[in-house]
Amino acid sequence: MIHFMLNGEPVSTDVPEDTPLLWVIRDYFNLKGSKFGCGMGLCGACSMQLDGVSTRTCILPVSAVEGRHVTTIEGLGTADNLHPLQKAWVKHSVPQCGYCQSGQLISASALLAQNPNPTEDDIANAMSGNLCRCGTYPRIKDAILDTAAGGVAQWEPPGSDNAPSADSVSDGVAQEKSVAGGEA
Amino acid sequence: MSQLKVSRRGFMGLLGAGSGGLVLSASLSGCASGNNAVQSPSPEALVLNAFLQITPENTVHFYLPREEMGQGSYHGLTTLVAEELDVLPERITVQHAPVNKAFNHPEFGMQGTGGSTSMKVSFYPLRQAGANARAMLVDAAAAELGVSPAQLKTEDGHIITTSGERHPYGRFVQLASTLPTPENVPLKNASDFNLIGKQRPRIDGISKSTGTAQFGIDVDLPNLHKAVIIRSPVYGAKPVKFDATEALKLADVAQVFAIDNGVAIVAKHIWTAKKAAKLVSVEWSNVPLASQSSTHIRDDFASALDTSEGEEHFKSGEGVQALQQAESSENSTVVEAEYWVPFLAHATMEPMNCTIQFNGPRCDIWLGTQMTGAVQSAVAYHGELDKENVFVHTTLLGGSFGRRGNLDYVVEAVEVGQAFSKSHPNTPVQIVWSREDDMRHDYYRPAALARLKASIDDQGQVQTWAATRSGGNMMSYILDEVIDVLAPGFLPNGMVDWLSKRGYGLFENWVVDPSSVEGLHEDYDVPNKEVRHVTVDHGMRLGFLRSVGHSYTGFFKESFMDELAIKANMDPVEMRLNHTQSSPRLNGVIREVAKVAQWGKPQQGRFQGIAAHRSFDSYVAQIAEVSVEGSKITVHKVTCVVDCGRAVNPDMVKAQMEGGIIFGLSAALYGEITFKEGAVEQSNFHDYRLVRLAEAPEVEVHIIDSQEDPTGVGEPGVPPIAPAVANAVFQATGQRLRSLPLKLA
Ligand code: FES
Ligand code: FES
Repeated sequence: MIHFMLNGEPVSTDVPEDTPLLWVIRDYFNLKGSKFGCGMGLCGACSMQLDGVSTRTCILPVSAVEGRHVTTIEGLGTADNLHPLQKAWVKHSVPQCGYCQSGQLISASALLAQNPNPTEDDIANAMSGNLCRCGTYPRIKDAILDTAAGGVAQWEPPGSDNAPSADSVSDGVAQEKSVAGGEA
Repeated sequence: MSQLKVSRRGFMGLLGAGSGGLVLSASLSGCASGNNAVQSPSPEALVLNAFLQITPENTVHFYLPREEMGQGSYHGLTTLVAEELDVLPERITVQHAPVNKAFNHPEFGMQGTGGSTSMKVSFYPLRQAGANARAMLVDAAAAELGVSPAQLKTEDGHIITTSGERHPYGRFVQLASTLPTPENVPLKNASDFNLIGKQRPRIDGISKSTGTAQFGIDVDLPNLHKAVIIRSPVYGAKPVKFDATEALKLADVAQVFAIDNGVAIVAKHIWTAKKAAKLVSVEWSNVPLASQSSTHIRDDFASALDTSEGEEHFKSGEGVQALQQAESSENSTVVEAEYWVPFLAHATMEPMNCTIQFNGPRCDIWLGTQMTGAVQSAVAYHGELDKENVFVHTTLLGGSFGRRGNLDYVVEAVEVGQAFSKSHPNTPVQIVWSREDDMRHDYYRPAALARLKASIDDQGQVQTWAATRSGGNMMSYILDEVIDVLAPGFLPNGMVDWLSKRGYGLFENWVVDPSSVEGLHEDYDVPNKEVRHVTVDHGMRLGFLRSVGHSYTGFFKESFMDELAIKANMDPVEMRLNHTQSSPRLNGVIREVAKVAQWGKPQQGRFQGIAAHRSFDSYVAQIAEVSVEGSKITVHKVTCVVDCGRAVNPDMVKAQMEGGIIFGLSAALYGEITFKEGAVEQSNFHDYRLVRLAEAPEVEVHIIDSQEDPTGVGEPGVPPIAPAVANAVFQATGQRLRSLPLKLA
């Protein structure tokens, strides 16, 4: 049995120890925001914060997180309570297909937590483990700089009093929580 | 406008919904446990037309007819209905449209997304849908409030009376549903637009920034099983025998079986399936491709160009004949060059995947696809089911760039799903490709070799432009894949088989596949032109990649134009302006980019290169600012000017230019797929390198202010970037790089 903190809650799982954390989070804890992109630690789509550090979880056996804090995109903020970087992402229309963006936001938030006023070089260093095939890099840079400069402190997404249900396209999916092997 | 031919009543019939009056509307949202028509937003919702429903609670549901893969149809098309309906786009609940002919692409004749056409073909029909719906609500409100429709205004989902009272649309949906459906209500004048042409964050930004946006790989269902497939290293090889003894010993492994293109391992969990796959040994059949390696294909293309004059695709004036005269004339200079590009993989961030469930005669399939309608046909055809029993649930696409326009991952899912359903009836299974599978089993952007030859007179005017391209044709592979799927409806079966076998050879000696040569000659005013094609196909599976033929013809044409300018002693911008007199829009973007990028005045230590190209009815010019250190090329800044007609969402147009430039830059600097004995040598992002944030240039985009109807933006940003960088590298080093990826000696 492996115990760890997931988005601030204590959890445990008895899945095989070598199972990469990514699949445990996606398929046992049913948090689908973290993505599979390469399985080799090369693209960053699977990034989660491990004790505050952006980490590639597709190559991280779940046994390695015993006793540690794991933060996924779901733990960063929600549609009703966006993290400042998520607001900046919306404000700058950063996402295109969106697939890489959970990982981008995990790396960006880890950066700002360490370094609230990053230079362009700091950003390049911190973000270069996260690929974006759609090419959203210029906006990622702008959104991080804007957040650091306080540009979203007062900003709310338009219509946010009635923001579209975040997954309005996915309602109707059987979202039955499969807890086998994992318990919240 | 063909979408609008389906009347409201007609559409209700299609849905099998109630008749007249209030209808039981169906929420057609992507995924559901079963029925296509599930979970109505409200039993009393008003079906205004195929695209719009409004509930008494004033929720507006919009059925998105074109898929969202990052290009922005989700936000862009919602903007169109929102504008005319007078509702803010972020208040609209967007649903994926189910397969229905009401959602057919007006130009494709089937339901699909591609060719940078979504905005172009939706600009009037979707606005019309919104305008008709609004008129219907105003009529109902006028009747109920006892005023004339002219006295009512609308604003953000509300009817506003002359005294300023605000009534939500939802209040009038009951009455509206009893009134006749207005058709062809006048659309807003451009001067009245509140949303079109304005800056607004994209409405899918929140779900895509909070991890809640749903992609195919995120589909989850009760008792979902996962499958991985061991695929043959060489495309086309079949499993002859396999040994799964060790794999089957792993707890959780449900089944291992051979399918046409490999061996499928189904397990309850993906990690088990992946581990089990490593324990299976497979013996493959031998196929001709296994004797081919990319080391010799360039030579093969070259010798084909030496020995064959190929097929004529285009000729004007005297064509290539005019060169003979020029060669003997003292006042003419003849320039000749050979250009090369390699195969490319799409490398979408979300690897291919597909979820499928068979239950007797019924099949449900969940996936991201560009070919929504053809998916239904393919499942029905390969699964031997009735189309009516195939339910396609689409999700967002985690990138596509053409890749999810192919059906291979659907066809294999049918095979896996059906085999699995024999032991596990009515149990869903999700096939997830590894990155290695995705990289090695793509439909590759073809490698291409081209010879260009031109003559310039002593005034610097190009008199003759001749280009011959050699390589494989994408369309052969696309046809092979879809013809048996789509054809049975209108062709007798024997003919289908014949065509399907001919598809491959069709372009070898019959007609030139336009995708192979598009963009080679269209842009410049030259009196004598000729474009020819010599097909050489080694059997690597080919497909459409973002900007298709333009992805390489842009590089050929724009690099060569630069060579001509230099030969003629002309400024590259001036040279292009001189040769675009008959194309004011192309001329316009060149002029504008030269101005805003301060052509001729690069920053200290940097060098500029320009390229311009028309594709998908849009005009794009780019100036790259580059520096070179040793053999390292650094692209600092790209200035881009686009004329895509009216920009419905200017910021999204900019985003597509930024994305297209960075996508094209990966191809310019790194992208190359090679194969050895038939097997693709690259496997993951360490050996198929993409531009990362640290290498991404600053991108500045300007949009030409235009009243023309909107044209493509998803693809046209790609073609100019490689030649703009190559032309800048020439300025910096004097080296003319005629091959991609760009490598300095
Ligand atoms: S999926 Fe983990 S780094 Fe790519
Ligand atoms: S937004 Fe598509 S991969 Fe980054």
